[in-house]
Amino acid sequence: MDARDIVSGLVSELRRGTLILLVLSRLRRERYGYELVKELTDRGIPMDANTLYPLLRRLEGQGLLESTWRTDEPKPRKYYRLTDLGGEVLAMATEYWRRFSRQVDQCLEG
Amino acid sequence: MENDLMERYIYAVTRRLGSKQRQDVARELRSLIEDMLSERCAGARPTERDLRVVLTELGPPGELARKYDPAGDRALIGPPYYGMYKRVLGVVLVCMAVGMTLAHGILALLKPGSWFLTLGRWLTGLAAGTVFAFAFVTALFAFFSWRGVAVEQYNFDDLPPVPKKRQTAPVWESMAGIAFCVVFLVVFLGCPQILGMADGTPLLSVEGIRASWPVPVLLAALGIGRETVKLLERRYSRRVFLAALIADGLSAALVIWWLTACQVFNPAFFEKIGALFPEDPGFSAFFEKFPTFFLAVFLFALALDVLDAFLRGMET
Repeated sequence: MDARDIVSGLVSELRRGTLILLVLSRLRRERYGYELVKELTDRGIPMDANTLYPLLRRLEGQGLLESTWRTDEPKPRKYYRLTDLGGEVLAMATEYWRRFSRQVDQCLEG
Repeated sequence: MENDLMERYIYAVTRRLGSKQRQDVARELRSLIEDMLSERCAGARPTERDLRVVLTELGPPGELARKYDPAGDRALIGPPYYGMYKRVLGVVLVCMAVGMTLAHGILALLKPGSWFLTLGRWLTGLAAGTVFAFAFVTALFAFFSWRGVAVEQYNFDDLPPVPKKRQTAPVWESMAGIAFCVVFLVVFLGCPQILGMADGTPLLSVEGIRASWPVPVLLAALGIGRETVKLLERRYSRRVFLAALIADGLSAALVIWWLTACQVFNPAFFEKIGALFPEDPGFSAFFEKFPTFFLAVFLFALALDVLDAFLRGMET
């Protein structure tokens, strides 16, 4: 196994860990699944739809998101948005992430 | 054509999901695939090739279904039970094979017959015993896994004390117990006339025993279950005591019912005994009480066994 393989495994672990944080942060405003895929991809964070869609349902099941079907548009789509609990979790997780990434940076520099 | 493939894909993903989410997931997937198609074709009419590219991007339906329902893929017997399951299954299979071979050896000596019949009976017994052992151990561990029965201690304070010498339950003890159950069952059902008078009149009624065959099967199963618990614990503990209490209690109830409700003993045996000693009525009276005597001895043995498990298990 060369260095590139090991790094790609490491990077996918890191991405997996931040996925929920990213999804929650984007759903402060109501969005549908594919919109979220495109938006994250545009921001340089490509994400597979087959990972995101099951994740959205799981977060909804945990009470962090709520969803509604919108049928007034040309295509019916399911929109997700943060619940109060989701907002609370997002705030705490963001706080943790800021502290943690700062500490990691300090370790990496020194 | 295109729609047909799309619907087939969606069906393959959702068919294993719970009925509650099935329709909603299907609807959402349909809208996702349409979005991906229109993104890809930018207004042009999507071809079947486009659909195939999109579905390939979504991945194999089974994989997607597992992402939607990770619990649906849970093993019947998962960790930490699986390793233990394999060990116990191995031990039980060995005991069964040894017991079955011993039992058929005894049967062959008791009822000499053609060697190929003996061989056939032995192989049939081995096959049936293997199926039974697999089913029994698997059902037991599936239950443990389903209920999450604690087999490991996570809290340091709850770790049991190192067992004293008389509290350890060596593997061979359980193995011998299981093998004995198998021998008892096969010999008892195969040759109930094993005990009897010199002229061949059996003590037990062959028809009566054969007609009530589920009773010895249950007795053997209770014994094997109890030994399996001991095999898991490797020591006399509160659980081993409880298993002994339940197994022996049920055995006692079964045997009492068996001796009273079924024709287990052979009446001809007692008549002949009486006829042998016409001048001594006390002798035949003793033999007539033999079933009660037998029951008393059996119950006493069970009580001793429970007491032993209690004393060893509760000692700290």
